[in-house]
Amino acid sequence: MALSLLTGVLVSCSSSSGGAGGTLTFLTNAESWTHADPNRNYTGQHIAWFGSFMHRTLTAYARAEGAAGSEVVPDLATDTGRSSNGNKTWEFTLRDGVKFEDGSDITCEDVKYGVSRTFATDVITDGPTYAISMLDIPSAADGSSVYKGPYATDGNDTAAYDKAVTCSEDNKTITFNLKRAVGDFNYTVTYLSFSPVPKAKDTGDQYDLAPVSSGPYKIEKYKAKDEMVLVRNESWSKDSDPIRNAYPDKIVVRFGVAEEVRDQLILNDSEPAAFSLDAVLPTNLATVFNEDGTPKEEWQGRALNVYDPYVTYTAVNVGKVPCVQIRKALYYARDFAALLQLGGGPAFGGDPADGVIKPLMGLDYKPVTGLEDFKPEGNPEKAQALMAEAKTACPDVYAKATGPGLTFDVGDTDTNKKSATIWIDSVKKNAGINLKFNFIEPGQYYAVVLDPTKQGDLSRAGWAPDWANASTVIPELFLEGAGFPLSNVGKDPAYAEFKQRAEANLSEPDRAKQGAEWAALNQYVMDQMWVIPGVFSKTQEIWGSKLEGVFFWEPQGAPSFGDIKVKS
Amino acid sequence: MSFLEVSDLRVEFPTSDGLVKAVDGVTFAVERGETLAIVGESGSGKTVTNLALMGLLSKRGSRISGSAIMKGDAGNLELIDLADVQMRKIRGKNIAMIFQDPMSSLHPYYTIGDQIIEAHQVHNEVDIEVSTARAIELLEMVGIPDAANRLKAFPHQFSGGMRQRVMIAMALVNSPELLIADEPTTALDVTVQAQILKLLRELQSELKMAIILITHDLGVVAGAADRVNVMYAGKIVESAPVGGLYANPLMPYTHGLLASIPRMDRGHGKRLSAIAGQPPSLIALPAGCAFAPRCTFTERVAGGPDRCKSAMPALTEHTPGHFARCHLEGATL
Amino acid sequence: MINYLARRIAISIAILFAVSFAVYLIFAILPFDPAALTCGKSCNDPGIIEANRKRLGYDLPIWTQYLVFLKGLFLGRTFGEGAATIFCPAPSFGYSFQEHACVTNSILEALPVTLSLAIGALVLWLIMGVGLGIVAARYRGRAADTGSTIFVLIGTSLPTFLTGLLLLVFVVVKWRILPYPSGNYTPLFENPLEWLNTMILPWITLAFAYAALYTRFVRNAVIETLSEDFIRTARAKGLSEKVVLRKHTLRAALAPLTTMAGLDFAGLLGGAILTEAVFNLPGLGRLSLGAVVDFDLPIIVATTILAATIVIFMNLLVDVLYAFIDPRVRVAA
Repeated sequence: MALSLLTGVLVSCSSSSGGAGGTLTFLTNAESWTHADPNRNYTGQHIAWFGSFMHRTLTAYARAEGAAGSEVVPDLATDTGRSSNGNKTWEFTLRDGVKFEDGSDITCEDVKYGVSRTFATDVITDGPTYAISMLDIPSAADGSSVYKGPYATDGNDTAAYDKAVTCSEDNKTITFNLKRAVGDFNYTVTYLSFSPVPKAKDTGDQYDLAPVSSGPYKIEKYKAKDEMVLVRNESWSKDSDPIRNAYPDKIVVRFGVAEEVRDQLILNDSEPAAFSLDAVLPTNLATVFNEDGTPKEEWQGRALNVYDPYVTYTAVNVGKVPCVQIRKALYYARDFAALLQLGGGPAFGGDPADGVIKPLMGLDYKPVTGLEDFKPEGNPEKAQALMAEAKTACPDVYAKATGPGLTFDVGDTDTNKKSATIWIDSVKKNAGINLKFNFIEPGQYYAVVLDPTKQGDLSRAGWAPDWANASTVIPELFLEGAGFPLSNVGKDPAYAEFKQRAEANLSEPDRAKQGAEWAALNQYVMDQMWVIPGVFSKTQEIWGSKLEGVFFWEPQGAPSFGDIKVKS
Repeated sequence: MSFLEVSDLRVEFPTSDGLVKAVDGVTFAVERGETLAIVGESGSGKTVTNLALMGLLSKRGSRISGSAIMKGDAGNLELIDLADVQMRKIRGKNIAMIFQDPMSSLHPYYTIGDQIIEAHQVHNEVDIEVSTARAIELLEMVGIPDAANRLKAFPHQFSGGMRQRVMIAMALVNSPELLIADEPTTALDVTVQAQILKLLRELQSELKMAIILITHDLGVVAGAADRVNVMYAGKIVESAPVGGLYANPLMPYTHGLLASIPRMDRGHGKRLSAIAGQPPSLIALPAGCAFAPRCTFTERVAGGPDRCKSAMPALTEHTPGHFARCHLEGATL
Repeated sequence: MINYLARRIAISIAILFAVSFAVYLIFAILPFDPAALTCGKSCNDPGIIEANRKRLGYDLPIWTQYLVFLKGLFLGRTFGEGAATIFCPAPSFGYSFQEHACVTNSILEALPVTLSLAIGALVLWLIMGVGLGIVAARYRGRAADTGSTIFVLIGTSLPTFLTGLLLLVFVVVKWRILPYPSGNYTPLFENPLEWLNTMILPWITLAFAYAALYTRFVRNAVIETLSEDFIRTARAKGLSEKVVLRKHTLRAALAPLTTMAGLDFAGLLGGAILTEAVFNLPGLGRLSLGAVVDFDLPIIVATTILAATIVIFMNLLVDVLYAFIDPRVRVAA
């Protein structure tokens, strides 16, 4: 870690000495951005992109390679926030001279207005809802917030919001009053859902098409299926923004580029100042990377093959499969090597996961023990031993698994169909368990499996932390009523202890202690085999020869777009 | 020497199945002012003979040998060896042709005026007005009323008979020395047939041209031709003046053809006698008489049916000017 | 002719009304709520849905809705009231919540792209198809014909998205013969060179597929026409092969091409979905496809009616054109 920190520093030194200018082009197969409205950006790549070029927030992640990138630094705010009241009150003061693209000052009210928009979940869709779950605003009878955002009129408790978020007299200091202690609220506000929006320019749903910039670039043109062109925002000043470099003069995003064309433009270096925003087609990986996954010599400095923040897994519906031996038998019986081969092999697909926390998480990760009998191609002896135990320990589940079989929910895709045959064959051969696959239309998949009445015994899933704290992983996946509780562990005898420890750890002020406990809870989850871990997945990025300064920005799981320079 | 002398004309088409001998050593002559009828079933070689004379057979698809010398206004010409360019100058000027179906033989998209004038212009370097006047003259000659206005009409605006008159006008626009009329009446009503044949006869006496009348119907030949060549399987099997042929057919095939002519005196309700069987394939013809398999007279041949099947009879003169190719040696049929 | 035209136009307009009403009715019968679709996939707030229902007039009975729609076509239409008013001027096809625009604007933006694509491709494929078809027919059975057959096989079997992709990857990316277009579509009058640069490969892609079909069609039509009786007549007149081919053969052979090209062109104006997708051209095809994927009803209705209008109009145009080419049709009409 120390070494990568050092190289990170070196990179930023060398890049600040170089010249600026040129046009940086991004290529994507997508027809448009999912969202350009800061309050609606959620995926790491989009946050990294818009956060680098257009939207500022109170705090941001440091622009550095490796673990150093996970450090929070001040952005619009003068510091990384001041907490009081046992982490239930957080205060941020805005810098002097921060402006929107029209030259008007960014004030506390603008930030407050931006945050208020995230309450209007009917208009400002798809964004993170941390403000709703954390701010001290009462809930109505149906569980929703009594505040419905700036657009609602009837029965909208605006006073409650004004009480939870306040601005100082000089309109420069914003105070958030939270309903529970949040020790890392300054991480939460790195989300663009905490970006300022000028009320006068807000057009509701349509703000997505023409958001006002607070960063170094502003929109000159944005047309779906065509392109987005960003030019320098003259109102932005480097003096009031220590973290953005703003090297290129112009930034262009080409939408709707056919996948093969997109890859070939870069592989042939036809567009030497272009960067692909999408995953490299599997068929093109061999052109760029060696078999071991490292970039070929001529591709050094033009390609990355790195771990992204995702962990894939198969959630076991513990309520329906209340038998740890069967759950473990599945883990040992499946032919992991064959499944990984489908995902590009170890070099590109990733490594076998030993839990739901990725080693990238640093403080929160510790290798899980007790899984030493894992064999990539399956371990029939271990699986059969577990099945023998299950036969007496939980005869009902045993009878179901070896008789009618367990149901397995997956999205209806070609790759999933291929992987289903591997699962069925290997689990039957190595453990005698029967599987029945339920292929669900991909767009509907999560809606179905998140509905307990429709969910099967096993469900394919993947999760990435919202920021570098497993507080966005362990509780989200396993606490009852949390964001993504596919394992339905509420009735498991081991749940009570888990619940007590996880909830306590959420408010743990000591980050090191908190991390150790997340690692321990990860071990706890694996001891119960509440999920069958898949891979710590990897992602590949390629770009043209005229670009430099690219590194993988770990907290966002995306390249650090704002540090890319076009060589003259 | 006659106006047109054709001798030992052979036309062969190589095909993937074998060599088709469409015309197999044909010899005949035509004089000016004379009408020669060539009669035979389809596939007998009568049309191919004349396409060969007109140079309208594809050089790539056929092999032509023999000779056809025309002693006309353009001097003595060997039609068989003529270069394309020269042949084009003869075609439509010295030799003209009319065809079986006047509807499909006229271009549907151009007025008849355009088409007749084009035929005149291609061989005469004159103003369009001259050609137009000539077209009107010809249309009047073939008996089309209101000719000047009808020039602007399209082929489909005429009846079948009128269309054939237009075709004739177009063929005669350059006063040809030889007119080849290929089944000119087959597609027409019986009454119109007679009119067209009469018209051709009249025009011939006026213009002194030679006519080769191709038909499968001996019925139309009677009043229209001076001499008849009967063809079968690429060969002339009988050749005689019209009178001699009708009075005394020497070849069983001719006899059969004559028997298939509908005649008023035979009464109703009696089936026409047709010749039984099919014409032979022109690929790999039998060694003997090509008609032998269909012939009902082989038993009467001296030497019996075997002789018919093994030896091709020669075309021999039985009475002056009456030739036949048959082993029956002049027996009355 | 004037009468005929007037009658045809009247009938066309009647058909258009029928089509537009049928389209309206079909979407009224389909089991989804157009108002619910206006607020996106993840939205199920009854308040917004009801507000949009009222705003867009989906609360009215289907007959009234259709009349309002018709009125909007001629007079423009206002959606909502107060501050949230949106006015779409005539001809208004409605308002799309997914595109955040008056449908007419979306269509007017996409139409020039599709027109550029279709017209350029049409010209290209007619030149290629007719040229190659004639050469193949003329040199039937020889190398040129074999070459054209190979072209036809490749052209008809290669899907357009593959042709397009191959062209892009090789011509632009690998060989860099053409620069990578700086925009997805540049209007002709804004920058003709850039317009040409963005359109040339899509034209070739589309033209390739169609030219193959047209080559085969023209080749067969020319060969068939060359065997027509009127071509024999033209040759018998003494016309040169050049005149026979250009004046007599092509006009007859290419007449049916008018119908084919007219309808193919109409089909393309509806949007060449695959080609537009590969080259990322924001034309009508992508607009329709996107509308279908998003259940964007106002756009689906408008593009359907537009496609019907184009097909009906092109049919009319083709019939009129055909009458000019073929005199037989002219008189019958």
